[in-house]
Amino acid sequence: MKAGIGQTLTSAVDATTVVVVRWPDADLELTCGGAAMLDAKDPTAGSGTPDPAQSAGSLLGKRYVDEAGGVEVLCTKAGTGTLAVGGTPLVIKTAQPLPASD
Amino acid sequence: MNGPLSGVRVLEVAQYTFVPAAGAVLADWGAEVVKVEHAERGDAQRGIVKLLGHDVYSQGSSFFPVMEGPNRGKRSIGLALDNPASRPVLTELIRRSDVFLTNYLPGARAKLGIELDAVRAINPDIVYVRGSGFGQRGPEADKGGYDSTAFWARGGSAAGATAPGAERLTRMPSGAYGDCTGGMTIAGGIAAALYKRATTGETSVVDVSLLGVGAWTTQFTVNLALMNGGPLPENSRPKHGSAANPLSGSYRTADGRWLELTMLQPGRYWPEFCAAVGRPDLVTDPRFADTAALMANAAAAAEVVAQILAARPLAEWIDVLGKVAGQWAVVQNSWEVAQDESLRANGGIATVVDAEGVPRELVASPVQFDQAPPELTRAPQFAEHTDEVLRELGLSDEELIALKIVGAAT
Repeated sequence: MKAGIGQTLTSAVDATTVVVVRWPDADLELTCGGAAMLDAKDPTAGSGTPDPAQSAGSLLGKRYVDEAGGVEVLCTKAGTGTLAVGGTPLVIKTAQPLPASD
Repeated sequence: MNGPLSGVRVLEVAQYTFVPAAGAVLADWGAEVVKVEHAERGDAQRGIVKLLGHDVYSQGSSFFPVMEGPNRGKRSIGLALDNPASRPVLTELIRRSDVFLTNYLPGARAKLGIELDAVRAINPDIVYVRGSGFGQRGPEADKGGYDSTAFWARGGSAAGATAPGAERLTRMPSGAYGDCTGGMTIAGGIAAALYKRATTGETSVVDVSLLGVGAWTTQFTVNLALMNGGPLPENSRPKHGSAANPLSGSYRTADGRWLELTMLQPGRYWPEFCAAVGRPDLVTDPRFADTAALMANAAAAAEVVAQILAARPLAEWIDVLGKVAGQWAVVQNSWEVAQDESLRANGGIATVVDAEGVPRELVASPVQFDQAPPELTRAPQFAEHTDEVLRELGLSDEELIALKIVGAAT
């Protein structure tokens, strides 16, 4: 999918909900618990069970990024599934300071 | 145990070490410190990769001593002060704080709405504290500074620590050397301001510059230069001892270690020293027979002392000189400082548990209250406490998420 900035996506297999903060100009699949995430307004709400191997979970209020692809989402409802893009798990965004040395 | 500043709330908008170190000392003393970090980059200190040639990261762990030292005991909130959506949060944090602590330059303070007038308009009683390189007045009030520039270079330490004619300038002996002592200085100022506020109801602006701290530390030679009416004559230290005292100065042992002797009254300590090192003949040597002779012949006496001390290893001198009354010390490296028996006996090394649950050790701040060391907690991870602090301010989860969606909070 090509998600837009500010778009809300929900998990098809658990409670996870995220808001898109960054999305490159590319067609990517964001999954949660192994299943593609859906637009929150999509009437065909998903059903299914999360892949037990993808159950790292997400935390409310944390930003998750795919460092290679340029995807960043904000978790607005915590869930149990792993957030991933193209099979690569997203990681919690950490501080991005400029490298410094004396 | 409650520290003396228990119940005091400090809001810190500061980076690197100098001013954050003040916040760390206040936290050691019991204050509740909330540190505002840049919403994306965090405290610039988090980007330091090397100091004085040493790698500063702990591989495979979140433990990061460069952050832990000046930030232990605090909570961190990621806030984009340049985003107007963050303003209500900052306003509420200012309203509930006793101390506002910053090292942002005047231009940045004005741009972000955290200048004195703006902060006092929200909280008229807040103690407003500014750490700077070169002070709030004068031609460099807008200029940034580090301890290596404002404290060490401008403040007289670099010149004082470098031998005349040296090939290289002596740099600071440790990272954040001036910042650490400067931060302690700020903390002392804040304590006095809080006392005034508690006893008179009047608040204060507290200003500390790294240049001022630098001049304070070199004041003995600066004051002499002032009395002299000009630069002090260049004075090369003798190879051994000092100009008038063979028992003051550094000497090498047989195993290449240094001893620092500081027996300021040579006439008093010479007989005891000579007896202890097995050279009672030197007491009656006419060159060194009384104080005046000993001080006049200090260079010759120092040569003899150097030969004596170079003949045996450190371990033996610790035993032999341990019995004399005069003052001396082993020159210790940083590991030896950390293991120092007296430092540890007085709680000078404290344990903190890192984010992975591993016990770690840090140097405690040196002021101790009620004969017990402070209990420390680790420094926060970047923006670790944003949600907790925002909820304390009364924000709902929806409001919290809304702030994050617009990038006002992290």
